[in-house]
Amino acid sequence: MEKRILSSDPYNVIITGVGGQGNVMASRVLGNMLSLKGLYVTIGETFGASQRGGSVMSHLRISAVSSFSPQIPKGKAHMVVSLEPIEAIRVLKDYGNWKTKTVCNTRPIHPVGVISGELGYPSLEELKKWVKELTEAAWFVDATDTAMELGNPIFGNIMLIGALAGIDVLPLDRDDFETVISEIVPPDKLELNLYAYDMGRGITLAL
Amino acid sequence: MQLFGPNELLEDVLNKDLCIGCGACVGLCPYFKNYRGKTAMLFPCTLPKGRCYAFCPKAELDLDELSSRSWGVPYDGSALGNYRDVMIAKAGDQMPKGHFQAGGTVSSIMAFALKTGMIEASVLTDRKGLIPTPRLVTSPEDVVTCASSKFTAAPTLAVLNQATREGYGKIGLVGTPCQVMSVAKRRSNPFGEDDFKDPLNLVVGLFCTWALDTRRLIAHLSSLIDISRIQGMDIPPPPSEIMIIDMGDEKKEIPLEEIRPLVPLSCQICPDMTSEWADISVGVLEGSPELNTLIVRTEKGQQLVEEALKEGYLVVEKIPDQNLAHLRIAAANKKKRAIKRAKEEGMLNNPLGEKRSALRIPTEAVEKIIESN
Amino acid sequence: MSYIIEGQKGTRHLLMGNEAIARGALEAGISVAAGYPGTPSSEIIENLAKVSKKEQIYVEWSVNEKVAMEVAAAASFAGLRSLCVMKQNGVNVASDFLLHLAGSGTRGGMVLVPCDDPGALSSINEGESRHFARLVEIPLLEPGDFQEAKDITKWAFELSEEIRSLVMVRSVTRLSHASGNVVFGGLPKKKARPYFKHDGFILDPMEGVVISAPVDYKHGQQHEKLQKAIALFEDSPFNTYSGPENPELLIITSSASHFYSKEAIQLIGGQDRIGLLKMGTTWPIPPNLMEEHLSRTEKILIVEEVIPFLEESVKILAAELAPKIGIKTFFGKRNGFIPMVGELNPDLVVAALSRILEIDYEAVPEDYSKRAEELTLVGAPNRELTFCPGCPHRASFWSIHNVLEMDNRKGFVCGDIGCYSMAVLPCGFGTLKTLHAMGSGTGVASGFGKLTQFGMDQAVLSVCGDSTFFHATMPALVNAVHHKSNITLVILDNSGTAMTGFQPHPGLPVDAGGNDVPIVDIPSVCRAIGAKVKISDPFDLQETQETLLELLQEEGVKVLVLKQICALSPEKKGKKKYKMSVDINVCLGENCGCNRLCTRIFKCPGLVWDKEKGAARIDEVICAGCGVCASICPSGAIEKKEAA
Repeated sequence: MEKRILSSDPYNVIITGVGGQGNVMASRVLGNMLSLKGLYVTIGETFGASQRGGSVMSHLRISAVSSFSPQIPKGKAHMVVSLEPIEAIRVLKDYGNWKTKTVCNTRPIHPVGVISGELGYPSLEELKKWVKELTEAAWFVDATDTAMELGNPIFGNIMLIGALAGIDVLPLDRDDFETVISEIVPPDKLELNLYAYDMGRGITLAL
Repeated sequence: MQLFGPNELLEDVLNKDLCIGCGACVGLCPYFKNYRGKTAMLFPCTLPKGRCYAFCPKAELDLDELSSRSWGVPYDGSALGNYRDVMIAKAGDQMPKGHFQAGGTVSSIMAFALKTGMIEASVLTDRKGLIPTPRLVTSPEDVVTCASSKFTAAPTLAVLNQATREGYGKIGLVGTPCQVMSVAKRRSNPFGEDDFKDPLNLVVGLFCTWALDTRRLIAHLSSLIDISRIQGMDIPPPPSEIMIIDMGDEKKEIPLEEIRPLVPLSCQICPDMTSEWADISVGVLEGSPELNTLIVRTEKGQQLVEEALKEGYLVVEKIPDQNLAHLRIAAANKKKRAIKRAKEEGMLNNPLGEKRSALRIPTEAVEKIIESN
Repeated sequence: MSYIIEGQKGTRHLLMGNEAIARGALEAGISVAAGYPGTPSSEIIENLAKVSKKEQIYVEWSVNEKVAMEVAAAASFAGLRSLCVMKQNGVNVASDFLLHLAGSGTRGGMVLVPCDDPGALSSINEGESRHFARLVEIPLLEPGDFQEAKDITKWAFELSEEIRSLVMVRSVTRLSHASGNVVFGGLPKKKARPYFKHDGFILDPMEGVVISAPVDYKHGQQHEKLQKAIALFEDSPFNTYSGPENPELLIITSSASHFYSKEAIQLIGGQDRIGLLKMGTTWPIPPNLMEEHLSRTEKILIVEEVIPFLEESVKILAAELAPKIGIKTFFGKRNGFIPMVGELNPDLVVAALSRILEIDYEAVPEDYSKRAEELTLVGAPNRELTFCPGCPHRASFWSIHNVLEMDNRKGFVCGDIGCYSMAVLPCGFGTLKTLHAMGSGTGVASGFGKLTQFGMDQAVLSVCGDSTFFHATMPALVNAVHHKSNITLVILDNSGTAMTGFQPHPGLPVDAGGNDVPIVDIPSVCRAIGAKVKISDPFDLQETQETLLELLQEEGVKVLVLKQICALSPEKKGKKKYKMSVDINVCLGENCGCNRLCTRIFKCPGLVWDKEKGAARIDEVICAGCGVCASICPSGAIEKKEAA
C-alpha cells in the first residue's frame, strides 16, 4: 500500500460541531479511511455530558512516522471541518493559525442562549467573513439542506467528508470511503451515502 | 395610574406579605398561579409594565383616581363611600329556599341577573373543604351552590380572567372589597386602549372587615379539630365574638380573639369595608342573622334592585338609624386602622416618581379619616 | 457485531482505547465481564456484550459497581478469568468489597479496569482510582497508548493468576475515548470449566475458604504477592525509556500523560536534552528500575493526572536512594510546574519544560490569537448544556418546578447522577439544590424529611433515574419509609441508563447480551417497601402537576414515577409523535400574557425566537415532536398534529 506523503507530518484535523450532530461517526469514518492507507491515526474525542447541546470536537492526528497525542497542541490545526458555523470560530481561537484551512457547514444550530433571546447569533455573511479572516482558505457547504432532502441530517457529515476529499490535502479515496461506510450503514443505505460523498466532493472540486 | 410590571409586583406585593390572593393577576399569563390561597410567581417575567401590576389592588391603588373615574368626584374618605341608598334586604319568595347565608340577598340578586340576561355568566366562589374555589356559573339554579360564606381570601378574579379570555361579554362578579377595587382599576382602562371593552356588567361587593389566610387557618384549625369533618363556617354579626365551625353533628365555637392573629397584613392596610366601588354592596345586619344590609351605589344597581323587588326576588325595608350609624362607625374605624397601619409600614402616599406606594389617598381625606370617631 | 473480533492475529485496526481493552480481555480468554455504566468506561462492557454470544462469554450490566465486582470475583473463585469495569466513582462504590477481595485473593485471573476522568469532562468530580491500589495493596498498571491498552490488559490476567491477586489496570478519558492503531493478537481456543473448590485446607488459596482472615496471615501474604509483582515489574516491557543516556531533564510519566510529554518534547525541540521514562507498572514502583533512571540526571519532571500519585511514590524512593544516587531536584504538581487541578495537554507540559529549561515557545503568533479572541466574543456565542429536544426531564422539571412554586413553602429537590443532574442549570429551571453521588438524593432527602420535628416546613423532594433507583436509591427509600421521613421521591423513568449511552438495567426486559430477562418493576418495589406510589406521564403536564401537588400536602414517603422514554432511546430514534408548528397570528411573543415563555424559559432547542417576525417558530431539524410545548403555550399558538 502506497503511503502518499502528507503536506505536513503530523497532519492535524479537527472535526467540530454540536453534541448529537454525528461528530464521532465522521471522525471514525475519516480515521478508518486513512488507516487503510497504512498511516498512523490517533483520534481524540469529547463524549458524555458535552453531548447534550454542548460544543464537541474530534482531534485527528495523521502521520506516516509515528502516533501522536489525541489532543492537538494549541495553534496546530491544519484543517478544521466544522459541522456548524460558530464552532469553526470557537475552534480556530484555540487551535487555528494563519495557515489553517477549513470546510464549514453553513446551517446554524442555535445555542440555548440564542434561542432564549439572551445572546445574539451572528449573520452568515459575518461568519463567513470572519472564518475567511482566520484561515488561509475556507470552503462553505450547505450540507444540511441537501442532507434533509436525502432524508437525514447525518448525510451532511458525509458531504463534508466528500468535500474534504475534494480539497486533496489528505489521501482520501472514494473506494476507501465505500469500504469503511459499508461496515457502518445497512446495505440499502450505501447508495445514499455514496451520493452524499460525491456531492460534497463535487462542491470543493468545482471551487 | 402608575404602571409597573411583574418584578415590581414581586417586590412590592408578594415579597412584602401584601398579597391577599384575590386572583387578579392569575390567568392573565402563565407566570402567576394560585394554590390553596397563595399566589406564586412561577418564573421571572421581564416586562416593565404589565396587567398584573395594573390590576393588583395592593399596588399603586390610587383612590382619588378611581373615585374621579367612577363617580366623577374626588375621594373624600367618607365612611361608606359613594352611594345612593342603604336598606335592609333578604331573598324574595321567587328564590327557592336553599342554603343561604344570612338573608340570601347576594344569591338572589345574581340568580335574578342571570335569569334576566343582564349577565351571561357569574363569577362566584364555592368551597372545597376549607379551600375557597372560584367558579363560573351560567345558570340561575347553580348560584345557590356557592351560597355559603367564606372567611378566607379566594382567587376569584382568576375565573374572571378565564371568562374574559373565553369571550364572555356580560359578566357578573361577587367579590370582596379588594377584588372589587381590582376590578375598578381594571375597568378604568389603565393602558388607555382604544378598543377597550369592559367585560363586566354587574359587580356585587361584599362587606369585609378582614379575611383569613387559607393556609394559616387550616394550620390553626388542624391543631384543634379534624378538618375533614368541616361542612361550613360562620361568623355571626356583632355583637357576637365567635367563629362557628359546622361539623355536621357538632358545632365548635372558636373565640375571634384566637382568629384575629391570622389576619394578614394585606387586610390590615385595607381601607374599604363595604366594597365602595361596586354596583351594589351587601353584608350582614347587626343583630339579625336572617337579614342583610344592602347599599345601592350606581344607577345600574338601582334599576336591578327595583326590578328584583318587582319580580319577587328581593324583599326590602328601611334600615333603622341606629344600625346605619353603627355601620358608619365600623366602616370609619376600619379606614382609620388601615391608614395607621399603612403609614407604619411605609405603604401610604410615598413620593410619586420616587418610591412606589401600595395606597394613595388625598391628604385631606387622610386627615378626615384620622379625625373621625 | 463488534469489530473487535473481526481481524486475524497480526492485523492492524483503528480502535478506541476501550475497544483495545476489550480486545485485550478477549485475548486473555475471559469468561465473565461485569460493570456498571460510567463515562468513560462504558464501551468496554458494551463491546464485550456485542460479541458475548459469539465468544461465549457472560457479560453483565450489574446493578451497581460493588455487585459487579462481586459477580466478576465469583467467576474468578470458580477458576475463570474475569473482568470488572467502572468509572472512577465506581471504585468508591465497590471499595468495601475491593478491600476484602485484596485480602482474600483471587483464583482465575481477575482484572479491575477503572477509567478515570481527569478534568471531569463527563463527571462532577475528578477523583482518582489509582490510590485504591496502594490503599488496598494490589498491583497497578497504566497503559500509555492504544497498543498497550490491549497488551497490558492481556498481561494483567497473567500477572493476576501468577500472584493470585486482583490487578488494577487504570485508564483515563483521553485513552479510553481516543482511538489509535492496534495490532491484534490471537484469540484463545479453549476456556476453563468453572468449579468452585472449597473443601480443601481452610487456608489453601486455591482450595480453601475465600476470606481475608486471619488478617495477619492474609495481609502478610499480600505483601509477598506484591514482592513477586515487583520482581516482574523490574523487567517489564511496559516501562520504556527514550532519549539521551544522560539527559538534562528526565520526564517520568504514565497513562495519557505519556502522549502529552512525548509531543511536548518534540514541540519544544528538546529531543537531545530531555529523556522520557514511561511507567506502565505504576505501583509498586520497581526500585532497581527507578534507581537506574533516576541516576541519569539531576532534574526530574513528573507528569501525570490527577493527583501526584506517581510523584509521591517516586519521591519516596528517591529519598530512600539518596545516599546512593544523590539528592535530586523534582518538578511536578507539588511545586506548581504541573497544575494540581484539571486534565493535561501537550501545551501544559510544554509550559513546564519551557520554564525548567528556559526555552521560549510560542504556540501561535500573538496577532492571530488576539484577533481570534476578539472574533470569538462576537462570533461564537456560548453553548449552555441543555436537555435534548423531546427529553422527558425537561417536562418533568417544568412540572416539579411549577409545583414547588405553587406549593410556596420554599421546597427543594435533592438529586444525584444522571442526565437529570443538569436540573441544577437553567435548562432544568434550577430545580435541583443538592447533587452528590448515585442515590444520595434520596438519602439526603430522608435526612431533611426528619427535620419537621424541629419546625422545618419546606417541601422535601428527591429525584433519581430508573437505573439509579436500582443502583443505590433503594436502601435510602427503605430508610425513609422505616424512619417515617416526610419526603416525595420522583423517579424519572426513561427506560434506560441514558447519560452513559442507554445501557439496560433491571427495569428493562433485555440484558447486556440482548437476552430476554424478567423485569423488576419499580412501582411494585416501592409499594413493597411501603411508600405511597403514583405513576404519571411527564408529557401530560396537567396530570403530573395535579398529582404531585396533592402528594406534597401529605405526610410520609410518597413516590411519583414519571414514565416516558428517553428521546435518544434506540427504540425511539427518529420517530416523531407529532408535527409541531407555531401560528404566528396567535403567538403573543413579547407581549403581556406570554413574554416568550417557550423560548425564554422552557428553552427547548427545537423552539427558536424569530426576532423579525416577533414570534416563536419550530426548527424542524431539531424538533423531536414530543408535543409538550403545545401544552405550555398560553395563547394556544403552538399546534401539534399527529405525525404520519
